[in-house]
Amino acid sequence: MISVNGLKKKFKLTKDHKKGITEAQQDPREEKDYFHSVRDVHFHCEQGEVLGLLGPNGAGKTTTLRMLSTALKPDEGSIEVGGVDLVKKPLAGRKAIGFLSGSTGLYGRLTAKENVEYFAKLHGMKGAELKQRCDELFTLLDMHSFLDKRADNLSTGMKQKTNIARAVVHRPKVVILDEPTTGLDIMTTQTVINFIKGLKEQGTPVVFSTHHLDEVALLCDRVTVIDQGLTCFDGTLAAFKEQGHSEELNQAFMNILEGHRHV
Amino acid sequence: MFEVFLKEIKELLRDRKTLMFIVALPLLIFPVIFAVVGYMMAMANLEAEQEVHKVYIIGAEAAPEFTESVKYHKNFELVTANYANKNDIIQAIQNEELDVGIVIEAKAQPESREQTTWQVIYNDSARINYLFIYIEELKEQYQSKVQTLSFNALGVTKESEMEFLISPIKLEKVDTADARESWGEKIGVLLPYLLIPIVLTGAVYPAIDLGAGEKERGTLETLLLTPISRTNIVLGKFLTVLSASLATASLSILSMGLWLFVARTFVNVSEFTVALSHITFVELLAMLSLLIPLAAMFSSIVLSISIYARTFKEAQNYMGPLSMLVFIPVMISVMPNMELTYKTAFIPVTNVALAIKELLKGTSEIGILAVIVGSSILLAVGLLAFCVRWFNQEKVLFR
Ligand SMILES: Nc1ncnc2c1ncn2[C@@H]1O[C@H](COP(=O)(O)OP(=O)(O)OP(=O)(O)O)[C@@H](O)[C@H]1O
Ligand SMILES: [Mg+2]
Repeated sequence: MISVNGLKKKFKLTKDHKKGITEAQQDPREEKDYFHSVRDVHFHCEQGEVLGLLGPNGAGKTTTLRMLSTALKPDEGSIEVGGVDLVKKPLAGRKAIGFLSGSTGLYGRLTAKENVEYFAKLHGMKGAELKQRCDELFTLLDMHSFLDKRADNLSTGMKQKTNIARAVVHRPKVVILDEPTTGLDIMTTQTVINFIKGLKEQGTPVVFSTHHLDEVALLCDRVTVIDQGLTCFDGTLAAFKEQGHSEELNQAFMNILEGHRHV
Repeated sequence: MFEVFLKEIKELLRDRKTLMFIVALPLLIFPVIFAVVGYMMAMANLEAEQEVHKVYIIGAEAAPEFTESVKYHKNFELVTANYANKNDIIQAIQNEELDVGIVIEAKAQPESREQTTWQVIYNDSARINYLFIYIEELKEQYQSKVQTLSFNALGVTKESEMEFLISPIKLEKVDTADARESWGEKIGVLLPYLLIPIVLTGAVYPAIDLGAGEKERGTLETLLLTPISRTNIVLGKFLTVLSASLATASLSILSMGLWLFVARTFVNVSEFTVALSHITFVELLAMLSLLIPLAAMFSSIVLSISIYARTFKEAQNYMGPLSMLVFIPVMISVMPNMELTYKTAFIPVTNVALAIKELLKGTSEIGILAVIVGSSILLAVGLLAFCVRWFNQEKVLFR
């Protein structure tokens, strides 16, 4: 369903970026004027599977997911979603993908309803189809009480629900989430987790990056670990524990990273 | 594109702060300026009228009647001192002992039948000053007495004959445009200083919201993931910013027209309002059509800047110098010897400032105006093309 191979992305270093890097911290991803954020990333995820993308800060998770969501164009490599080559046909890919990140915001001066409807319209929906789909989501996510409030006045939980509705309003074939629970309280996190579970039940593949391994334990079928722009593990949750020599996910994660860095 | 435009307009109309800048500023700035300028002019006038100037006359005995009339004028006070010559008087004026000195040539006797020159020495600073006018009036009175005496001595006694001898031909000027031209020149210097920055201001606030604001709120990324092309997104945003800027520009011109009308109806005092009331609707429209391509240029520039910036604050930091920069071409337009010609019509922004002045003076030429609008449109299209390309670059969107 989703298949990523040999993904690479480099950024031109600006003066600001260069300043941040001190001589002592020699980074293998630096090369003259470029910073190779993603050097070789691969993973795949089938129908009905949830894939957890793990990695330390700055590993290249966000960059990878942005390429998956067609916001960034990869330098090399291939991304296939449901048989469509996203690198060659980004526009077709956008219809197939729902994307949500922890830093995604809403238009503050539009109401919750208007926010969702705006994105539905941008996806080319209109009339009865649009209304029906929106109503369906509003009910599913229990949003009716705050539909006509401006997004600025919503609680974080309400905002996140609106964001979720916005991300899937066009019935995407796959859903990509970048740290969807970062900074959320327990209740709101639960909303997100339930939403991922719901997608899984429907058979929609989900790729999400996270730093919370308890979410991985709860939701994921597969795990991919990225470190310094390289995939250093890609497999099932069981294989993850095995290679990490631990039933405890945190420990397994650390062991895998450790092993990778010493090679 | 239209979807983006509609949504942006909707959101813009719900933002009170931006609306303030787009609507309230142009509506209020003109009455405030008119009121302030009017008040200050009235005050200065009053002060000038009441001022009593200290005057000293060298050679007073040559024209005793004139000296007498100066003495009894309510705005003059003859000082008793002993200045010997012009230099003494200049010194005294610089020391502020004296406001004005008059040097009358000794030969200035009516009987001598020789033209003489009187020097009026005073500090003619730019403020409203009636001093010279008063002296001129007194001189005229004295002069006509001398003339009558001289004519009488020559045997000319009829008033009409005297008039003929003094000035055989009299020119009569019947021209209202004259007052307008001179006032147009003065206001024309001021108006571009207001209008052009207002057009920019009208674009700046929405642009910050639509570009950097979208990045800061984290909505840009999701917007980019919709099937709408980036070109259409940026065009939708451009149209929004342009509309805001144009709304500001037309409101400004409308407000100016309205307040001029009000001023003419209620306070029929200064010839300035009378002069400017000759401005026709067509000319206001022409002004607007000059401002449209200008607004488009500004919109593209501020939108490009705003898209580049990561946050509201960063965008605002860039906009600050820009609003200073925009004064430079306006300043160029008021430099001495700057005139609207087919050459200067190609200097961006400056040309619009010059054309606004011509329109106010009522001396504009349609050909040059067309050149200005044409060249501005070309530039605006170029800038828009840049803005679109800019928005299609990863290094701009994801910094
Ligand atoms: N637009 C950009 N220009 C330059 N460098 C960038 C850019 N985007 C990301 N990077 C760099 O690429 C590296 C990977 O960033 P990325 O955001 O993908 O990491 P991440 O795995 O998502 O980290 P985190 O867990 O902190 O979210 C970082 O070192 C970052 O500084
Ligand atoms: Mg990240």
